[in-house]
Amino acid sequence: MLLANDANWSLMTPEIVLAALALIIFTIDFMTDIKGKKPFLGRLSIISLLITAVLVLFTNNDGGTIGHVFVVDSFSMVFKLIILVGVALVIGISMYYLDKHEDIYQGEYYSLMLFATLGAMLMVSSADLIVLFVGLEILSISSYCLAAFKKYNRKSTEAGIKYVVLGGTASAFILYGMSFLYGLTGTTSIVEIREAIPTLWVDYTWVIAMSFLFMLAGFGFKISAVPFHMWAPDVYEGSPTPVTAFLSVVSKLAGFAIVLRLFFVTFENIYVEWAFTFAVIAALTMVIGNFIALTQKNVKRLMAYSGIAQAGYLLVPIAAVVTEADTFTMIAFYGMAYVLMTLGAFAIIILVTEDSGKEDMSSFKGLWERSPYMAVAMSVFLISLAGLPLTLGFWGKAYIFFGAVAAGMTWLAVVMIVTSVVSFFYYFGIIRQMFMREPEPTDQEIKVPVYLSVVVTICLAVTVALAFIPSIVMDWLQGLTWMGMF
Amino acid sequence: MVHITFFLALAAILFCIGLYGVLTRRHLVIVLVCVELMLMAVSINLIAFSAIGPSAGIEGQVFTLFIISVAAAEVAVGLAILIALYRNRESIDVIKHDLLRW
Repeated sequence: MLLANDANWSLMTPEIVLAALALIIFTIDFMTDIKGKKPFLGRLSIISLLITAVLVLFTNNDGGTIGHVFVVDSFSMVFKLIILVGVALVIGISMYYLDKHEDIYQGEYYSLMLFATLGAMLMVSSADLIVLFVGLEILSISSYCLAAFKKYNRKSTEAGIKYVVLGGTASAFILYGMSFLYGLTGTTSIVEIREAIPTLWVDYTWVIAMSFLFMLAGFGFKISAVPFHMWAPDVYEGSPTPVTAFLSVVSKLAGFAIVLRLFFVTFENIYVEWAFTFAVIAALTMVIGNFIALTQKNVKRLMAYSGIAQAGYLLVPIAAVVTEADTFTMIAFYGMAYVLMTLGAFAIIILVTEDSGKEDMSSFKGLWERSPYMAVAMSVFLISLAGLPLTLGFWGKAYIFFGAVAAGMTWLAVVMIVTSVVSFFYYFGIIRQMFMREPEPTDQEIKVPVYLSVVVTICLAVTVALAFIPSIVMDWLQGLTWMGMF
Repeated sequence: MVHITFFLALAAILFCIGLYGVLTRRHLVIVLVCVELMLMAVSINLIAFSAIGPSAGIEGQVFTLFIISVAAAEVAVGLAILIALYRNRESIDVIKHDLLRW
């Protein structure tokens, strides 16, 4: 029996500090004017996230647990760091966007984003179905508000209501699956459920399979895997663009972290039974994501389908496991690469779409002549997302590819290569617009605001540096103990 | 004593009604009610398991309390967005909200 006094609450330091800072930002917001620009809150949010990241780096290293409910290990540290840095970059982008849009209530925006981050951190560290569910809902409910944040905009509210209804349904699916796991084992701890699974699988095969499929559908929704992806393009198109960046990066990676934690701990003993389900979903996600992206004209929608396709690549190591540590390493490495490439690309998308006022691909026309640095940076991000050799995205995909071959899933590796080649067409469509089309006569040179150029420069520098020396991060990730506790 | 199967069957029926409603109803308030119905089906499941399940215990009831409070928060946000949507579009008919597609 765990008493509150005995628990080692210091393990939760980063979460508690982030919650306190988010509440402080929330308070400062309503102590200042209701309307008006509040760039200082944005800066404060970035500082809070960086403080939390440093705390995560120091406290999550050793590993520990609060009553087998909240777990801290290398796995949670890596994913928390990726999420925190990702959100800091998203807020850097948001500051430019909010500067342009007076109709957005600015303080609430930042505090909601921090609360969403807190939910993601709780999810990543959870070792109990209840904590997992609460973290998931903190993230989801904050995301619903953020998606509908331009409340006088028809598209934004429509995206918000679609997200609420479908997200609520997905949560119900996850819970329905969990309720059977709880019913058969009498516990909500995923470690104890894991011990009980092998015998339950023999006695109650259909109940466990149903519970697994319900949870798979719910989490598949959260990571936007085909066939549960239909919400993603609509919500991504309607939401304010920085929120789209947030959803496509942070929500998705938190979803992947929890899929890894839940399925690799709880269902590890019956891995052979469910691996093929993930292989099918990964293949479908890669094929459908990449092929539908070919037909898109709206840049945000294109990025949504590109994000679906990238989720497919990230699912491959789950379906084709050599060792668990390898799977975690591949997903963490490619996830980190995905965050940098996507956020860099979104920073430039916001710059261009805000300048032209429309979200069509043609707004990239002649960007090379209007802002050479941004055009070159965008090309690097897109080439890297496509996975052309000697880019960061290429290394991530190469590790996943060789892992899949080593695990005997050659057909999945082939699907991955073929769909990557398909993805060249739509990524190069944007590059062609930037370099080979003349700008409109009325277009001026684009002035790049300082926050955006900082975000783009950080993403560009890390993407290029790691493309030459990926081994630094790889060696660090491979040396970790990941889920040492289980 | 009533066998647990009856409670599980009730929950399964409620869950299906909820899902059917989410997929087919055109009135957005009813759609949100149907989402609630699905969550309450889960609660019935958990309470039944926690009272007369094969390994009964208190966790299921705790879980249910969390579900009830989180569901309330979710519906509050859902209704707020619904009002914003109604102000923009003068309608809460699902069919009419088709700005975003393909």
